[in-house]
Amino acid sequence: MSKGYFRYFLNKLVWLFITAVFAFVLNFILPRLMPGDPVAAITARIAQGMSNSTGMKEVYEQYATLFGTNRPLLEQFFLYVRNVLQGNFGSSFSQYPRPVADILKSSILWTIGLQFPAIIVGWLIGNTLGALAAYLKKGFDKVLMPISIFISNFPAFGMAIILMVIFAVDLKWFPTSGGYGFDMIPNFSWDFIVSVIHHYQLPFWSIVLIAIGGQAIGMRSMSIYELNADYVKYSRFLGIKDSTIVRYVFRNAMLPQITGLALSIGTMVGGALVAEIVFSYPGLGYTLLNGVMGQDYPLISAVTLIITIMVLLANFLIEIAYGLIDPRIKAAQSE
Amino acid sequence: MGKIMLEVNELTTKYITRFGENVYAVDHVSLKVEEGKSLGIAGESGCGKSTLALSLMGYYFAPLHYTSGEIIIDGQKITGMDPDDIRRKILGKEIAYIPQAAMNALNPTLKIIHFIEDVIHAHDPKATKKEIYELARERFAILGLPEEVLQKYPVELSGGMKQRTVIATSVILSPKVLIADEPSSALDVTSQKMVIKMLKDLMEKGFVKAMIFITHELPLLYNVTDDIMVMYAGQIVEKGTAREVVFDPLHPYSKGLMGAIIVPESGVRNVKLTAIPGTPPNLKNPPSGCRFADRCKYVQPECKVRSIDFRDVGNGRAYRCIFSEEQLRKAYQNG
Ligand SMILES: Nc1ncnc2c1ncn2[C@@H]1O[C@H](COP(=O)(O)OP(=O)(O)O)[C@@H](O)[C@H]1O
Ligand SMILES: [Mg+2]
Repeated sequence: MSKGYFRYFLNKLVWLFITAVFAFVLNFILPRLMPGDPVAAITARIAQGMSNSTGMKEVYEQYATLFGTNRPLLEQFFLYVRNVLQGNFGSSFSQYPRPVADILKSSILWTIGLQFPAIIVGWLIGNTLGALAAYLKKGFDKVLMPISIFISNFPAFGMAIILMVIFAVDLKWFPTSGGYGFDMIPNFSWDFIVSVIHHYQLPFWSIVLIAIGGQAIGMRSMSIYELNADYVKYSRFLGIKDSTIVRYVFRNAMLPQITGLALSIGTMVGGALVAEIVFSYPGLGYTLLNGVMGQDYPLISAVTLIITIMVLLANFLIEIAYGLIDPRIKAAQSE
Repeated sequence: MGKIMLEVNELTTKYITRFGENVYAVDHVSLKVEEGKSLGIAGESGCGKSTLALSLMGYYFAPLHYTSGEIIIDGQKITGMDPDDIRRKILGKEIAYIPQAAMNALNPTLKIIHFIEDVIHAHDPKATKKEIYELARERFAILGLPEEVLQKYPVELSGGMKQRTVIATSVILSPKVLIADEPSSALDVTSQKMVIKMLKDLMEKGFVKAMIFITHELPLLYNVTDDIMVMYAGQIVEKGTAREVVFDPLHPYSKGLMGAIIVPESGVRNVKLTAIPGTPPNLKNPPSGCRFADRCKYVQPECKVRSIDFRDVGNGRAYRCIFSEEQLRKAYQNG
């Protein structure tokens, strides 16, 4: 590792840390600024049928102490920091007494399993199509580009709903909601896996389609730019084969698209969460929605924190890898 | 008379623009370069010098198209050959060029040695990496480039190093004819002289058999090339030995070019003495008659009406003007 690259790495690491701290603080504060009193809501639920107002008050006090909501905000914050560092996100308000960590454990896997492949597949297909559009031009370009522009400007929930209406409601090819059959218990049986794959399709393609549009547009313009670069002409006049030159061009156009991926991963995850909500997919997006509905601070904070950390980490890893594989970045760092 | 390395007869090529217009940037150009000799081509920006350089390679791709004329390299006629044969057998081996924008001529994400491997493999797929490395090392050493440069990416090299790397790459296959398109215009005077000296060295050592050197500064060619041709609006307007054209220019345009720049030797270069007023004509519809007429001090009514012959005055001297040699010399003496 060169000195320049080490500086680049350190710089990115420091920024990762700073953003993570800010995200952490915001994740704590924002849900607590929501109107309404969740403890009152829980008390009401638990004390259902209780007519005695002193008893109600006692139950309320009990829960407020338990959740720590009656302490000063700053104290709550430090408690929260200590607990989170120990992997303890507290108990859920809405699904009390289930621990938040327990709820998250299952939904994280669903989210990663859905989003990671979808974003990668969308990125790969989008870049391939964009490169082809730049190289083939003519008919292919004329059809692909308007479609890409249309799709990439489509709101994520719109795409999810359209797919749902066409393929789930009308054609009934795929289920409308869930991550697996509602009558099943997760296990490793063949039936269950088939059901998971079946439920996977619509949320997956609604994310992929949106990603394809944006990536194709970016890749097309990068490729056109590279195809007209001076080195292309020089290489040709030295007798280098067209197939070799096409390889140069697409590699050079593809590399900046990796930063494009880093930049858009936040938006993509946002869109992916929407897809989870529309299809009631048992991932973090759906959990977040439930948390918001139930004014479940600990759950909301934990979900947003996890999402933020995931996005920041993905970004960080992409940038680190990018710096390693693109000599232009490497050189810029060592200047 | 030595062996003729490059012979071009009435070569005409054109650009076809996006809007379907024809731009005849090389218009019936003929020239000859003998073994061991160099030819300078001078003219203002936009006169078609770079287009001529590319047209001489015999390999055309959009937007540049071949119209008519022939190119003969060392007795072999290359016009009319199959483009893939030209790519494999002619480009880089028989004729090579150094592009005007040497700074951007190298693929930024390809190590120099890998680029050279691609160049050589395009002509000789069986060459081993070891052979290529040895050849590259030796050629680079001749140009004063250390072996380490081979393992670098272009972005890691300074401007002067890149320039020399491009020169070394262009002559890696010992082409018979080397065309240098303003290889030094981006450099300061000292570096310009170094580049010129390097090119002459290459020819003296036999790595190149004949050379064409293109520049927009006519005076720079004195002491550099054996012969000079002056190009204006796609046509050759004057040719002769370097001494003749620099000290006794006949065409009013050549005269203007000599007056336009102070000879580098005199030191002061920031003042343009008597720049020629106006700009070269648009080649989409060049003027009938003399193309220089609109800017010429000595213009006559008939200059704009009839096309002017390239008048051969013997010993390889020729020019395109209605006036006789005596008339022109007298006119220049009177200022
Ligand atoms: N790709 C192109 N398409 C159309 N016209 C071009 C193109 N490149 C150059 N030209 C035109 O051809 C003429 C000659 O250009 P060029 O050969 O670059 O001149 P020079 O090298 O002498 O500056 C100019 O008028 C220029 O506008
Ligand atoms: Mg030029």
